[in-house]
Amino acid sequence: MTKPGYFGRFGGFFVPEVLVSSLKQLEREYATVAGDEGFWTELNKLLGAYAGRPTPLYPAKRLTESIGGASIYLKREDLAHTGSHKINNALGQALLAKRMGRSRIICETGAGQHGVATATACALLGMECEVYMGEVDVERQKLNCFRMDLLGAKVNVVKSGSRTLKDSINEAMRDYAASSNHTHYLIGSVVGPHPYPTIVRDLQSVIGREAREQITAETGRLPEALVACVGGGSNSIGLFYPFVDDEDVKMYGAEAAGEGVDTGKHSASVVAGKEGVLHGARTLILQEEDGQVSETSSVAAGLDYPAVGPEHAFLSVSSRAKYFAVTDAEALSGFHLLSENEGIIPALESAHAIHLATKVAADMPRDQSVIVCLSGRGDKDVAQVAELEGRL
Amino acid sequence: MTTAISDVFRRLSSEREGAYIPYVCCGDHGKDFTIELMTRLEVIGSDLIELGLPFSDPLADGPTIQAAMMRSLSSGFKVAHIFDTITEARGSGMKAPIVVMSYYNPVVRIGIDEFCSRLSRAGGDAILPVDLPMEESDELDKAAADNGLDVIRLIAPSTDEGRAKSILEATTGFAYAVSVSGVTGERDQLPESAMSLLRRLRSQSGVPIALGFGVSNQDHVRAAMHAGASGVVEGSALINAYMSAGSDRAEGIRLAEAHATEIKNATR
Repeated sequence: MTKPGYFGRFGGFFVPEVLVSSLKQLEREYATVAGDEGFWTELNKLLGAYAGRPTPLYPAKRLTESIGGASIYLKREDLAHTGSHKINNALGQALLAKRMGRSRIICETGAGQHGVATATACALLGMECEVYMGEVDVERQKLNCFRMDLLGAKVNVVKSGSRTLKDSINEAMRDYAASSNHTHYLIGSVVGPHPYPTIVRDLQSVIGREAREQITAETGRLPEALVACVGGGSNSIGLFYPFVDDEDVKMYGAEAAGEGVDTGKHSASVVAGKEGVLHGARTLILQEEDGQVSETSSVAAGLDYPAVGPEHAFLSVSSRAKYFAVTDAEALSGFHLLSENEGIIPALESAHAIHLATKVAADMPRDQSVIVCLSGRGDKDVAQVAELEGRL
Repeated sequence: MTTAISDVFRRLSSEREGAYIPYVCCGDHGKDFTIELMTRLEVIGSDLIELGLPFSDPLADGPTIQAAMMRSLSSGFKVAHIFDTITEARGSGMKAPIVVMSYYNPVVRIGIDEFCSRLSRAGGDAILPVDLPMEESDELDKAAADNGLDVIRLIAPSTDEGRAKSILEATTGFAYAVSVSGVTGERDQLPESAMSLLRRLRSQSGVPIALGFGVSNQDHVRAAMHAGASGVVEGSALINAYMSAGSDRAEGIRLAEAHATEIKNATR
C-alpha cells in the first residue's frame, strides 16, 4: 500500500520538525473540508461569479489549419480572473485558510502570476498577504509586482541563493516555520510536502473536469491527447488528473529546455533530473553529482524551477505521461504563432505548451483532437519579448 | 547501546556538567580553517562537534548559517570534502564525537548507505538530518545502524507530547530540542516556551537533550541547564564571532575560541 502523500515512490513530507504539526493540522483540516459540500459550493460560487469559470474550450481553427494535423482546442485559463489558472488554487486555499482561522497568508511567486492571484484572493476575503519573490524575478516581472502592490499585498524581495522561485519557496518556508500558528502558506504549485501536492491538484482539477465536459459536448468523445506546460506542474496536473484513468488519452508535458538541455541552462527536471528531496518532497530534481541543487534557466519565469511536483515524477516513471523539453527559441516561436494565427498572446510558460502541441498534433490524423492548456495570458511578457527581440 | 556520544553524556552527567556542542559549517573559509577551528574548539573544552554539511537550499537556517554555507559552496566545497575533513581531523588527534548535520538531499543523492558508510569510515559518529521527520526516516535509520552511527532527532516546541515520546524513544545519542518555532540564528532572548519544552522533555525521558536554535550567550546556557538540558548547540553566534575578524583567519579563530570558552564555562 502506498503511504498517504505518496505517488508511487514520490512525494512524502520531508520537512524540519517545526513544520510537522502544522502540516498534520492542514492535512486534517483539508480532509474535513474536502468532504464538506458547503465548502465546494462556496468555492464554486466564487470561481463562477468572481473568477469567470467555466473558462471556454476554444477550437483553434487557424492554428490547426496551419499545422495540418489533429484539431487543437485551447483550454482558455488565460481568460480566468487575474489572467491565469493560478486563481483556482489561490481562491480555494484562501477559503481553506479562513476556515482554519488563519488571518495571514504568505506565498512564493516566480512569474508573479501566483503572487497576483493570491493577493487578489486575499483582497477579496479581507486577509493579510505577503509574497516572497526572487530579486531576479522582480526585475523581469515588474508589472506583476506593481499589481500585487495595488492589491494591498506586501512583496518581500528574496536575495538569497539564486534569487528565483526556489529561493522564494525557501524563504516562505522559513516564514511559515515561525508563523504557522496564525499564517497559512498558500503554495502555488503541486510541489512541497504532503498535503500540498494533493490540495493543489484537487483545486486545479477543475481545468480538466470542465475540459472533459466541454470536449465531449463538442465532439461527442474524449480527446486523443492533452498538452500542458510543466514548471512545478499545477496547470498540467489540473488538466491531466481527470483523464488519468482514460488510458487512450495521451498526456504530454512541456518542460523548459531554456537554451538547450545539453547546455545546462534549462529547467527540464523530469527530462534531465535525478531523484532527490527538495522543498519537502521526494521527486525529480536538477542537481549536481553530490546533491547540490542546480541553478536553472528559462525565458519563462514560471517554469524556472529545478524540481517538479511528485505526481508528475510518478506519471513519468510509470509512463502514463510523457515529458518533452521545449527551448526558449521554440517557445518564442509558439508565442508568435498563437498571437498571429489566433489573436491570442499566450504567457511564455503556455507558449512552451503551444509549441509542443503543434508537434504532437502534426503527427496525428485530422479527425482526432488535442486539448492544450493555455494556462496564462501573455500581457506580462510583452515587454520582455520586445526586449529579447531587440524591439525596445 | 553505548556509543561515543552516549559515553560523553554519561561522563558529563556524573560530573554535573552540560555538553557544549558548537556548530561548525564545513568548508567556510576553507578546509584548513574548519579543521583548525574544530581542533581549537576541542582544546577549549567542546564536548561534541556538530559539523554542518553546506546545502544549496538550507530552509531551516537563518541568514548567518545560510551565508556560511554559500561561502563554502561558492569556494568549491563538494560533499565528499566533509569526509576528508573528518578523516584529517581524526588524523591530527581530534577525539570529540562528530555529529554531521545535513539536509537530506545530498545524502539521498550520494546514496543513503554509501553516505553513512563513508561518514563512519571517516570517523564521524552521528548524523542529524534536519529535514527528515521520523515518518520518513526508516531507510536512514537502518543505514546508520548498519554503520554504527547515531541518528539525532529534533523535537520542536510544536511537537506534541505523544510524538515527543516517540522521538525520544527513536533518537540515539541525544535528542535535539529546538528552542524556537523558526530558523537558526543568534537571538537576544530565548522564549519561555523553550524552557517549558525542556522541562516537559526532561519529565518524559532520561535521554540526553541538547537545546539549539538561538542559543547565543551564557545566560541562555544557564537557563537551559536549569530547565533540564544536558547540553547546548550553538552555531550562528560562533560564526558571527569569527566573521567579525573579516578576512583575518587567525584573529577569527582567536575570537571564536574566546566566545566558545565563555559558552563552555556556562555549562559547568
